[in-house]
Amino acid sequence: MVAFCPNNNEVHIYKSSQDHWERLHVLEKHDQIVSGIDWSSKSNKIVTVSHDRNSYVWSLEGGEWVPTLVILRLNRAALCVQWSPKENKFAVGSGAKTVCICYYEQENNWWVSKLIRKRHESSVTNVAWHPNNVLLATTSTDGKCRVFSTFIKGVDTKDSKAGSPAESKFGEQILQLDLSYSWAFGVKWSPSGNTLAYVGHSSMIYFVDEVGPSPLAQSVAFRDLPLRDVLFISEKMVIGVGYDSNPMVFVADDTGIWSFIRYIGEKKAESSSASYSSQFSEAFTKLYGQSKATTANEASESSKSGGGVHDNCINSIVSLSKAGSPKVMRFSTSGLDGKIAIWNLENMQEELGHQFQ
Amino acid sequence: MAGAGGFVEADNAEAIIARIETKSSKIESLLKQYKPVEALKTALEGSPPKTLDERCKSANWIVVHRALMAIKDIEGMLNALDVEYYDILMKYLYRGLSTGDRPTCDQCLKIHEKLTERAGLGCILRCLTDTINTV
Repeated sequence: MVAFCPNNNEVHIYKSSQDHWERLHVLEKHDQIVSGIDWSSKSNKIVTVSHDRNSYVWSLEGGEWVPTLVILRLNRAALCVQWSPKENKFAVGSGAKTVCICYYEQENNWWVSKLIRKRHESSVTNVAWHPNNVLLATTSTDGKCRVFSTFIKGVDTKDSKAGSPAESKFGEQILQLDLSYSWAFGVKWSPSGNTLAYVGHSSMIYFVDEVGPSPLAQSVAFRDLPLRDVLFISEKMVIGVGYDSNPMVFVADDTGIWSFIRYIGEKKAESSSASYSSQFSEAFTKLYGQSKATTANEASESSKSGGGVHDNCINSIVSLSKAGSPKVMRFSTSGLDGKIAIWNLENMQEELGHQFQ
Repeated sequence: MAGAGGFVEADNAEAIIARIETKSSKIESLLKQYKPVEALKTALEGSPPKTLDERCKSANWIVVHRALMAIKDIEGMLNALDVEYYDILMKYLYRGLSTGDRPTCDQCLKIHEKLTERAGLGCILRCLTDTINTV
């Protein structure tokens, strides 16, 4: 089953039966566009956040989805939401330069939100939970990626033997990464929580190992248009999606150096870039009065689609494997072209090579 | 980070300009020996991106401009240049394009076309989004 927002204030839930998708429910409660949706797999709750500064937690009761309002105390739009690994909390990033951590208070039967107000200098575009349910990584349009502790008394248990840093104060900033000069988007932790990956709008992807007092950071610059979101397929493989409409695979070799390997789909890389630049220079030479009539034919052909699945920017990528499994075999992507695609990596194992193990 | 930037500005601006002048005489001699590729490499090396001082940036731009205009074989030049200099070269190309001066723009456009083929759109993106390290 899939829940998505068709660029308005509703959430549509579709179920796949045999070979076609049928719409089961339409969740209508928000006043403005729903900017973030997350569906918890174990407790079967959907949390939605919207530009109307509200958030609802939906539970399935008797075949109908019933909303519960969560007061976030925001004065700007909410941009993204994610359930924590134990699904007892969720984090909301907002344009109010704050992150709201919401948890369920049993006594009052109510979701309470606590705000992390400090530190962010601009909108928080994405949030990601560490597998330990306490650390949260956030990316923002001020270009920085920060890791906070979201320890809440009564909800989280102190793990005294784990030797984790004793920053068990709520809202305490553990780390700030200044690697990017431009907006930062999708951030994710690796399955073990050792590595953090996030993307910047300058066509770069950043990998950070050993998140802590002295992190090891790597910046990988790549050829094409920026990415919007990333997903860890395994400890050493990351898939990034973005403005190129084609998922990109990044792999870490044995020494831990990350690099771009390939696109998932076959991209006609050579011809499309040649036609792009001849289109470009054709425009400029027209400006200067010279004409290059021969390149006009090339330019009109393969200018837009890379021959892949999506026609436009891919906005998000979500794993379809069981939560907590070390390797992701299936994932889905959704984009500005209105398509949702499900990708299966099983047939691609030989092509992706030995790094896939 | 802000402290270090201030340090570079106040004390080292003169030192950087002096360094650029020595670089420029070296480049002149390289150009006389018909080695424009080497000249451009020397010009791009040690470009001071972290200074906020406009004079340093202009001084370096003059030097890079001189080397750029002397290049005739663009493919060869790009072959010889290391990948890490692609981003810096692209920034200087955009600076050249912004001058509006006919021969400069012609040359910059020719190099831009070839550089985009090699480095891809990501290179252009990095120049556009990087507002801190400007040339």
